[in-house]
Amino acid sequence: MSGRTFTLDGQPVPFTEGETVMEAALAAGVYIPHLCYRPGYGHHGSCKVCTVAIDGHNAASCTTRAREGMAVETATPELADMRRALVEMLFVEGNHTCPACEKSGECELQAVAYHIGMAAPRFDFFFPARDLDASHPDVILDRNRCILCELCVRASRDVDGKNVFAIGGRGIRARLIVNAASGRLGDTDLAKDDAAVRVCPVGAILRKGDAYTKPVGQRTFDLRPIAAVAIEEARRERERRRG
Amino acid sequence: MGGPSGTCVPWREFERRIAFEDVPSAGAFMVFSRGRDMFEVARNFAHFFAHESCGFCTPCRVGTSLLANTMDKLAAGKGSAYDMQRMQTLMRVLLSMSHCGLGHTAAKPVVQTMAAFPDAYERRLKRLDFEPAFDLDAALATARHITGRDDDWAHIVSEEA
Ligand code: SF4
Ligand code: SF4
Ligand code: FES
Repeated sequence: MSGRTFTLDGQPVPFTEGETVMEAALAAGVYIPHLCYRPGYGHHGSCKVCTVAIDGHNAASCTTRAREGMAVETATPELADMRRALVEMLFVEGNHTCPACEKSGECELQAVAYHIGMAAPRFDFFFPARDLDASHPDVILDRNRCILCELCVRASRDVDGKNVFAIGGRGIRARLIVNAASGRLGDTDLAKDDAAVRVCPVGAILRKGDAYTKPVGQRTFDLRPIAAVAIEEARRERERRRG
Repeated sequence: MGGPSGTCVPWREFERRIAFEDVPSAGAFMVFSRGRDMFEVARNFAHFFAHESCGFCTPCRVGTSLLANTMDKLAAGKGSAYDMQRMQTLMRVLLSMSHCGLGHTAAKPVVQTMAAFPDAYERRLKRLDFEPAFDLDAALATARHITGRDDDWAHIVSEEA
């Protein structure tokens, strides 16, 4: 088990059999920007923000198993530019007005954008018409800010055992849908303490009544950069799994 | 050759061979007469890929639609040099970051027609006051890199005196 390593931007990173490049990197204290990956919620690989070059070939680090001796690069200028382009795409695809958003300062999309040095998106905004669902007594679903990471889908299915969410539609018309005959959140058994509610990395699923309780300046990413928060979160998940 | 994601062979290269080593094909090919506007062909394919994208990964879900929208913008005579640069960026994102082959090849019709029929694109930009500082040949460097070409036909020599 011990002694296995690969290199990440030239530095040796140890890993255990079966671990992904992302898991090993976070365990070694190296942050690779990511949005659809969250420790403890499986391996999905859709946002592509975590893409690295492995022996010269691009792959999502959150879904690629570490192998002995592989040479992984994350810090190349080309990858940095591509990563920025992807985050810009997520911003123009939805409707994100950060200064007016309750999630600002707690939002991973915003924090990753800061981390990778994104300025204004270079692409045209879609300004899509997306529905807001306020039918649930404790939870609000604002699809304008959804980045289709499917974390809530996985959390509801695998952690809460409820299967409240799914993705419907294809291509640019893909949307988060609610598994109820009415399609409304109020007609599901979603509860405000469900993992599916907590897991949303952006301001798409929010608990009612929680907004603005933490003042600006004291929010998660006001205090610490996302790299430190993610490394800490991965460490907690490893400890939880070890029991 | 081989459908929308295949290889575009302009008439100047008709001596090339349909073979694994040169122009591979899965058995399908399309022929376009010289009367066809290859920009419109590429625009049509760009919409085809945007429609076919399953929407799972960010680069393909958003990138194919951005590409189709930019081609529409050019078609409407509203394109600028900046749009051409942006399409180059989109091509790189699609090729290098997509989850599957659909996204990887989705920009091919635009990349290849840009390289093989630059006038079809330039004509659209010229209707605008287009920046003389814009160097179309330099902008195609990525396309050359992606297609692995560096022959004469992959370069644009400005014919304006
Ligand atoms: S969800 Fe995040 S990125 Fe979107 S508007 Fe809110 S703070 Fe900004
Ligand atoms: S609602 Fe949140 S967690 Fe669910 S897919 Fe959208 S962004 Fe991801
Ligand atoms: S974090 Fe790896 S693809 Fe989203």
